[in-house]
Amino acid sequence: MAIEDPIVTGLNSGWAHINAGQLTSNQTFEADVVIVGSGAGGGTAAEILTNAGLSVIIVEGGPLKSSKDFVMEERTAYPDLYQQAAGMKTTDKAIGIFQGRAVGGSTTINWTTSIRTPDPALAYWASKKSVVGLSTDELTPWFKKMEQRLNISEWTFDPNRNNAALKEGCEQLGWDYTVIKRNVKGCWNTGYCGMGCPVNAKQSMLVTTIPAALELGATLVSQAKVMKLEHHNDKIYALKAQALDSNMKPLPVEIVFKAKHYILAAGAIHTPTIMLRSKLPDPYEIIGKRTFLHPSLLSGAIFSDPINGHSGAPQSIYSDEFVWKNGADGELGYKLEVPPIHPILIASKTIGYGQSHAELMANFNQLQVTIALVRDGYHENSPGGEVKLTDHGSTLDYPLTDAFWRAARRAYASMAELQFAAGANKVLPISEGMPYLNSWSEAKKAIAEMDLAPLKTVVASAHVMGGCPLGEDPKMSMVNSYGESHYFDNLSVMDGSIFPTSLGANPQLSIYGITARNATRLAEKLTAS
Amino acid sequence: MERRTFITTALAGTACLALGVNYCSTDYISVNPKLDGKHRLLFSVLLPVFLDGALPDVPGLKRDAENRTLDAIEQTILLLPEDSQAELEQLLDLLEGRLGLLILTGSMTPLMMRNSVELIEMLQGWRTSYIEMMVTAYQGLRELVMASYYSDPDHWSRLHYAKPDFLEEIN
Repeated sequence: MAIEDPIVTGLNSGWAHINAGQLTSNQTFEADVVIVGSGAGGGTAAEILTNAGLSVIIVEGGPLKSSKDFVMEERTAYPDLYQQAAGMKTTDKAIGIFQGRAVGGSTTINWTTSIRTPDPALAYWASKKSVVGLSTDELTPWFKKMEQRLNISEWTFDPNRNNAALKEGCEQLGWDYTVIKRNVKGCWNTGYCGMGCPVNAKQSMLVTTIPAALELGATLVSQAKVMKLEHHNDKIYALKAQALDSNMKPLPVEIVFKAKHYILAAGAIHTPTIMLRSKLPDPYEIIGKRTFLHPSLLSGAIFSDPINGHSGAPQSIYSDEFVWKNGADGELGYKLEVPPIHPILIASKTIGYGQSHAELMANFNQLQVTIALVRDGYHENSPGGEVKLTDHGSTLDYPLTDAFWRAARRAYASMAELQFAAGANKVLPISEGMPYLNSWSEAKKAIAEMDLAPLKTVVASAHVMGGCPLGEDPKMSMVNSYGESHYFDNLSVMDGSIFPTSLGANPQLSIYGITARNATRLAEKLTAS
Repeated sequence: MERRTFITTALAGTACLALGVNYCSTDYISVNPKLDGKHRLLFSVLLPVFLDGALPDVPGLKRDAENRTLDAIEQTILLLPEDSQAELEQLLDLLEGRLGLLILTGSMTPLMMRNSVELIEMLQGWRTSYIEMMVTAYQGLRELVMASYYSDPDHWSRLHYAKPDFLEEIN
């Protein structure tokens, strides 16, 4: 029996979807609320606001793709579903960034890991960033609500061998580890979440909140890149977008959206980009600054037995042993996870070429990879990056600091120790100049002395946060703790850009929970008026 | 607006085709002369070095794999954002010009005329350089070639990797 594609079914039933790439003339649309972006924030807000009886338009820059398009190949998934075909980099090219760009945003291509915002992050925001009402106790009901909505529950199957190595290493060393909760329903355990779920098991925005909003009469406009908010005094009065063709190249068609209220949910690079392009008031020069990435290091390990890291739930175990070890604003902590192992991802995020690289690739199925996600934005030497406008868009300038490199060295050591404890024959820190290391004692010495530098050390990110922080003090925030602009009555921000620091955890559930709270409040306000 | 350019623009216009097109038989790699602008010949020189040990051993299969990779590289370049595309074009133009070659490699000898040892020396020179531009050049080309080669299911046999076939079975 063929897999039913709920998007195709919905469109056939009359959902209001407009592919801006097919428009031939300028258009104007109106609604109670226009939401820019259809990822974790935009999708969640769309469902809540339509449920409240408001008319909603969701504007998405990327294309509408669905399970019929998800053929489990990186060569189609990356161009179709990722920003810059998964090749996005920071300004100096030292960090590769994976971010979604399609209906559903990054939820369409993430690895389903669902973690509530860690208590130390929320406590830090309350004490240092003037955030109110977002304590663990206050957020718990919102996390519960979204966990129920998206079927988020602990993964009860055995972890795949890639994740099992992380678990075994932690058990051997007495380190903390946790079985991951995932937003899946009827998961086939194939391992292709990052290329769009082919069987609609992942409870992404694409198959949950957005269809629900469309069922209730919301309109989805895809391939429309929002360029500018038009504003006067304390009001936004229009939003202008440019139509994009199927290759995401601009078309000479402008779309104007008018609404009572506007929500930016375009993610932590594009929300600040739109604000900067629109020249929104920013007296304290906050927009786009303090953008965080959880910049991540990779450590490869060769095992005797098959790891087959491409197969099975990509992430089912994590270790928080080192995330908060030195306090929130002490030396940078790091979270240990594993990535799925697919050919382009591994071929490009490793080092070297020719025989040495071919040998690594020939060991593809014996390769275990551990990643360390560095918790940025707390330590004084971890100010994050800055989104800046360029001639054709924007760039994220993220200098890697000394505090980061100190954390990187500790992280490589932890990963190697863990991998040897789990039974690895040899370990390869993914950084130029490092050979295969044959024992923990050899690794300990080599890592203590290894050269670490931008471009020489492979650094990647799949979590973009910050750049439009929330809080009550306008000197350090752009929106209040409900995501409402300090400067405009009818503008809210509901995405990862509102985080004043990184999270120390994969961000999707934090965005779901906080958006559910803030969008519910907004719905109450808009329906009362 | 500040934008990184690969090298000073004064040098960008100096391209004189230095790959040695006249000396090279195009039978082996299917280079369409009309596609000179797509740098196919340049990549046909670099592929055997980047992919040594990964490409098939049998000459016919190797040629097919190289041609598929060249096609994939063209596609990948088209997907790059405008700024990155311009930057890459600038690098490729430099590598196709004698002055650019001199600046980037210390020699005006066209890449097509260099043997594999010399090409490896060139890549290693960039890879280990203290000049950020050189490292960026190495990494940009490396990532483009690796991603393009391993994007093709026909190139996965040495990996013993294949995508699941349940979709074919149930559809």
